[in-house]
Amino acid sequence: MEDEMEKVTSSSSNNEEAEAEAALQKKHLSMLDRLSKRHPTKSTTTSTEPPTESTSSFLSRFSQLKSSIESHLSESQFISSSDPSHLKSHFDKISQSISDLEKLVAQSSYFLPSYDVRSSLKTVSDFKRTLDNLSSELIPKKKFSFKNKATKVVAESKQSITPVLDSVQSSFTVRDSPGFRNKTGEVLIGEFKESEFGEFTVSDLDSCEVRIIGCVRALFVHRLKNCRVYVGPVTGSILIEEVEGCVFVIASHQIRIHGAKRSDFYLRVRSRPIVEDCIGVRFAPYCLSYRGIEGDLHGAGLDVETGNWANVDDFRWLRAVQSPNWSILPENERAEIVDISNSECRKEEI
Amino acid sequence: MTRKIRIVHCGSLYNCVCKVLVFCLGMGLLSIIRKIKKKEKEMRILMVGLDNSGKTTIVLKINGEDTSVISPTLGFNIKTLTYQKYTLNIWDVGGQKTIRSYWRNYFEQTDGLVWVVDSSDLRRLDDCKMELDNLLKEERLSGASLLILANKQDIKGALAPEEIAKVLNLEAMDKSRHWMIVGCSAYTGEGLLEGFDWLVQDIASRIYLLD
Repeated sequence: MEDEMEKVTSSSSNNEEAEAEAALQKKHLSMLDRLSKRHPTKSTTTSTEPPTESTSSFLSRFSQLKSSIESHLSESQFISSSDPSHLKSHFDKISQSISDLEKLVAQSSYFLPSYDVRSSLKTVSDFKRTLDNLSSELIPKKKFSFKNKATKVVAESKQSITPVLDSVQSSFTVRDSPGFRNKTGEVLIGEFKESEFGEFTVSDLDSCEVRIIGCVRALFVHRLKNCRVYVGPVTGSILIEEVEGCVFVIASHQIRIHGAKRSDFYLRVRSRPIVEDCIGVRFAPYCLSYRGIEGDLHGAGLDVETGNWANVDDFRWLRAVQSPNWSILPENERAEIVDISNSECRKEEI
Repeated sequence: MTRKIRIVHCGSLYNCVCKVLVFCLGMGLLSIIRKIKKKEKEMRILMVGLDNSGKTTIVLKINGEDTSVISPTLGFNIKTLTYQKYTLNIWDVGGQKTIRSYWRNYFEQTDGLVWVVDSSDLRRLDDCKMELDNLLKEERLSGASLLILANKQDIKGALAPEEIAKVLNLEAMDKSRHWMIVGCSAYTGEGLLEGFDWLVQDIASRIYLLD
């Protein structure tokens, strides 16, 4: 590519020797710009020509293109939420790379085993379908309509009808589960000493400290801001959604974290914890202490440090390289052991 | 005489060849028939539901495997197991939001659909209803028997299957759909066999005549 660029510049400078240096520079820049724009399509078309007619080189090229398409596809959701105006061009780009991929398969089909041809064509058609679905999902279709006020009135009256229908359909109201909800700037303490407690919900808190001593079966955390959450062993799973600026010290068999921003998680977990739609989350090992925690951890099968706190799967980052969305909390920034046994603050017995 | 012998000889050779041919053909046919038979007894079952509902745990529990360490499913698992006289191919597909759009890749030729609900996750029941409604609109799944497993009944505070049925508004479902809701616990195993018994019987009675 660079060689080519140099050739072009030198030839252009030969042709237009009389041109002033500045003009040349300008031209050069615009050419660079043009070349760099051409670059992605260029590189894929050159890659569609199989250098050697070997299945393995085809497969490696194919998987390379495939993973880049996959990552672009997975970015669409994010782009749609952050910058919907770019979606169209984003999808066009993906569509282009899918057809490049198809071309590559077609060109290599004469030397490939039929299985590989079939499976790679299947991948291509799957991609096409996924892209179709994504674009129909994320880009609202322009509906054919007459632009006058009458339609507006209809639309409005429709809108007023639908909620009524909804409320009729779901007339069954679900009771609230036990938990801490809608508080600001408080210390909330739950003690579950005698027997194992069922599910517990912590939601809509701002600048609170939550301490849960003892075992619960399941923990749901939703919409927390600037909170500290210290939790004894959870024997089932923990689901955390939409938290920001928080610190969690939690132990459980399964941990799922969705939509977390700038938060630290001190975990002990038997399986691999997962993150989805998270930004700036950091992980460290569990560091909680209260009187009797050893017994509780043992009873919950969480007495052994598995090291899984660091084996985070990012569902938004399906590549081999480290996800940019999470990291390991540097040791010098980690909290000391947090002891929550002496709670002289307000208690909320459940 | 010699001529006759030769003819007899030829005949026996011809017979022999014929016998071998029939034998080979027979073997081939037999194995083909066997394969079809085997295939007939296969059922393809798709397990879906929101993340954290316990799909993988249910599959492992049914198969009698260890359920103490299960990571959230990134992608899918396939489990083939023999259930009564049928071979079940169970496709357990991850439920995280990111990968729900890939569910549609598994719809083809599904005989049975298992929708797993976390009965203790009261807040996301709306999500659960929405995703199920979307799924049932899918034409490729229109013939599939639907088993709804109201999982995690062992957790205190979990909704009973009747309550889940009301929230999901199951009564309003298309009348042609074969469906059933069963409360279960993948943790204790309770209810799982009841649910799968119904599913397998229903598929069998739809697809193959019960013998």
